Amino acid sequence: MAIKKTKSNSKPSSNGNRRHNGGSQSKVNHADLRTYSIPDHRLEHPNLTVRQAIEKDKDGSEHVRYEVTGNLNAPVPPIRDSKYLSQQQCIEIYRYMLLNRKMEVALENLYKQGKVVGGVYFGLGQEACSCASAYALDKDDWFAPMIRNQGSLLVRGFRAADTMMQYMAKADSPTRGRDGTSHFGDIEKRNMVSPISMLGDLIPVMAGVALGARLQGRDIAVMTYIGDGGQSTGVTYEGINFAAVQNLGLVLVVESNLWAYSTPSEMQYRCKDIAERAIGYGSPGVIVDGTDACQVYDAARDAVERAHRGEGPTLIEAKMMRMKGHAIHDAAAYVPKPMFDFWKKRDPIARFEDYLVKEKKWLTAKENADLISEVDRVIEAEREIAVNSPMPTPESAEGGVFCEDGCHDIKPKYAMPKVKKGAGAGPKQTEAAVHLR
Amino acid sequence: MQITYLEAVRQGIWEEMDRDPTVFCLGEDIGIYGGAFKVTDGFIDRFGPERVIDTPIAESAIVGAAFGASLTGMRPVAEFQFMDFIGCAFNQISNMVAKTHYLWGAPAPLVLRGPSGGYVHGGPFHSQNPEMWFVHNPGLKVICPATPYDAKGLIKAAIRDNNPCIFFEHKYLYRRIKGEVPSEDYVVPIGKARVAREGRDLSIITYAAMVHTALEAADILSKEGIDLEILDLRTVSPLDREAIARTVKKTNKVIILHEHSRTGGLAGEIAAIINEEAFDDLDGPIVRIAGLDSAIPFSPPQEEHYLPKVSDVVREARRLKAY
Repeated sequence: MAIKKTKSNSKPSSNGNRRHNGGSQSKVNHADLRTYSIPDHRLEHPNLTVRQAIEKDKDGSEHVRYEVTGNLNAPVPPIRDSKYLSQQQCIEIYRYMLLNRKMEVALENLYKQGKVVGGVYFGLGQEACSCASAYALDKDDWFAPMIRNQGSLLVRGFRAADTMMQYMAKADSPTRGRDGTSHFGDIEKRNMVSPISMLGDLIPVMAGVALGARLQGRDIAVMTYIGDGGQSTGVTYEGINFAAVQNLGLVLVVESNLWAYSTPSEMQYRCKDIAERAIGYGSPGVIVDGTDACQVYDAARDAVERAHRGEGPTLIEAKMMRMKGHAIHDAAAYVPKPMFDFWKKRDPIARFEDYLVKEKKWLTAKENADLISEVDRVIEAEREIAVNSPMPTPESAEGGVFCEDGCHDIKPKYAMPKVKKGAGAGPKQTEAAVHLR
Repeated sequence: MQITYLEAVRQGIWEEMDRDPTVFCLGEDIGIYGGAFKVTDGFIDRFGPERVIDTPIAESAIVGAAFGASLTGMRPVAEFQFMDFIGCAFNQISNMVAKTHYLWGAPAPLVLRGPSGGYVHGGPFHSQNPEMWFVHNPGLKVICPATPYDAKGLIKAAIRDNNPCIFFEHKYLYRRIKGEVPSEDYVVPIGKARVAREGRDLSIITYAAMVHTALEAADILSKEGIDLEILDLRTVSPLDREAIARTVKKTNKVIILHEHSRTGGLAGEIAAIINEEAFDDLDGPIVRIAGLDSAIPFSPPQEEHYLPKVSDVVREARRLKAY
């Protein structure tokens, strides 16, 4: 924690002022009035509501189903112009989104061919959120994906073959077969922490990464993701709160994709928008359209720069919809079909393509077609690499439980911490009262 | 120099923070207050609030943050106010920290430490010995010292180790025992047991506060001509299989003594190791002395009944000697 030598402990938070240490209660101090705001950058505010309803089948038997109400025919919003992104950067993000989707199509085909071990998790409809958020990070920043952020991995320099080999449990996969999906990491080059299947645990971990960097003299941004389902976990609260108290540069992207496995967001939380929860942490919260790459990038970049200034965490709620089931086995029959139709019209790639080709004219039709076929070729080449990797030997299940025999040389990532030495030549023999004797 | 067990832990952490700028502490009330047991008393003045961090009451965040910092090459030492509360961070430890090196090859050089153990009437949530929760988690080193010398040497070894270490300090021993500790720098190797008392008739395999219980019993029994050997495991994961086999081969009779509940306890694992390593050397049944299969109760007569006592060791040793 940065200790400032001021008499007052009171600090304005970006979501209002909170008085610390008591003070006069008798008269109204305008500095104490709380003013909160949650910026919402969306160009539309879908008002769809999901609830459980009784439905009779043709035999008259009653079944509980989800039904959706609201304006399902609202016009599709445009892409919001970015405050920051250049033409070239927009095209690059678009290319990553294409890679993301086409990699997942390839994975679906590999699954159908029986080459995938276990299931496949898709980020369909969420490519803008994964790719544009990760694109906002600088090289020295860190990130940790969740299961659907396979696009973030591509942006941060992993190959599509890495993820494909994970799904196929291959010997050359980043975990050499020991785990699947996006569950891998790299603390050397790409500054990525591996996710685990339990939700929310990455949040304090990423706060700790920022803490470690700060002790080494660097304020970095640490980005991770959580869903509208995953944010129900207690460790989510613990992690954001820890980052807030310690002013650590956490950039938490809450992917509000409406469905947590089969449970709608209406059954996960009661507040209107998850971004409102940022108020409770004393941190900025912001809402973006998760299907709009420009909005996602701008909010993420603002949060990353805030982190670099050492000002603490930001919560970004990206609203969108998970356009497939939880995993490939799940047909998502519980989702009311009109919801799929509504969000299909808000496809992040189709809209971004229109924006670049028709609206901005930053890509000609031919350039766009060339880009798409280049991405197809890349994915095909990556698929070849992945398919041709051997399966691991049975014996390779052994070893590596501990870091031993010099397998890693552990040293500070950024710099040796500068230490200050205060009073006391050595630990003094303490006789203070203690909790239990 | 004769110092208490608590002082030994303090000195060990202090010296490592002095020696290595990547070492820092975090936990609840460890700063200005100096910790519930005063292990970090004075640390914040010496090392500053950047390296002695008071945290919210959020054990999963403490472990998560320690782990995250370790990934950047730091060596965090996280305090649990009582080891009973480590359960609040169980997922973070079991699924995040312990599996990291095996799954994706990142070393996590962190220490989770705090007071455990009974005999202080702390009640069911301030007296537990939760080490077995972690012995069954490959990827963690679990350390339970019994003496000031070992407490200091092992906390230093844990901080220098490239793996996650869980360090159980027995709160009954904190201020009750003193021992000789050298003034020069030293470490005690993790994973190595020590013979706390040489003997020829039967072996007590134990650790932490129970080492002292066994030593008391040995004094009583020596007057009857029963000569106990006492093996202090010091580290309960990884276990020192060779030392366990060696003492069984020497005395041929063995009692395993621990504070935590009997069912699923460490004695079962050690009995299995003896079965694998030294079955032919046994001249009697393997005897277990352990806590009851219940929560550890609060009221002193009940707590005393729950926990192993010197008289339990004396009784079982006599029975086994006569076998």
